[in-house]
Amino acid sequence: MSAVTFLIATFTSPENISTNPQSILWLLPLVASIAVVYKATKVPTIKLGSFLKETVLLFGSIIVFMIVIALFLCTLAWLITE
Amino acid sequence: MIKPPKQNQILFLLTVGLLAWFVPGAGHFILNEKKRAIIIFAAIVITFCAGLYAGSIGVIDGVNAKPWYVAQIMNSPIVAVLGRLTATGNYPVYGRPNEIGQIYTSIAGLLNLLCIVNAVYIAHLRRTQAVED
Repeated sequence: MSAVTFLIATFTSPENISTNPQSILWLLPLVASIAVVYKATKVPTIKLGSFLKETVLLFGSIIVFMIVIALFLCTLAWLITE
Repeated sequence: MIKPPKQNQILFLLTVGLLAWFVPGAGHFILNEKKRAIIIFAAIVITFCAGLYAGSIGVIDGVNAKPWYVAQIMNSPIVAVLGRLTATGNYPVYGRPNEIGQIYTSIAGLLNLLCIVNAVYIAHLRRTQAVED
């Protein structure tokens, strides 16, 4: 199979992604992308160091906030069902 | 005939907006924000391609998944070409790969919408400042 055929084939057939808890890790690259693009539109000047710092900070904030919300919802569900 | 400044400005803003839609980051590129343009281009294209990789081009479904399609088409008009290709029903995709593919490609589209608005806003600010000076 040539490289081009292989490349086209990867975009014409879906990957095998199961519905296990690990599949939630697909969230991380998406959050990274959101943080990068958002910061690229917000920082006044782009300098590697400060841009990376701001992006990592936003990435971390989103992840922490999502974990807090998940814990809150889990607790709420546990309180309702117990 | 020279166009009045206001008409010129609208045309310029429209050009920036359309360029930013056709190629992610191109709006910032013509505003001489080259670093910003490269970052935006790379991030949006990688996110969009990751979505297509996870779920195949079948995640672009303008017939059965219209709300997702509206967000996906914000990436670039090329999405419409892919939409026509998948409208034949030759690329079925279901379950988790479909969800992840749709989320990735749609978020990439919405991020590009943010960049289009940002590029037009920067262009507007620069023109306004230039007129004031």
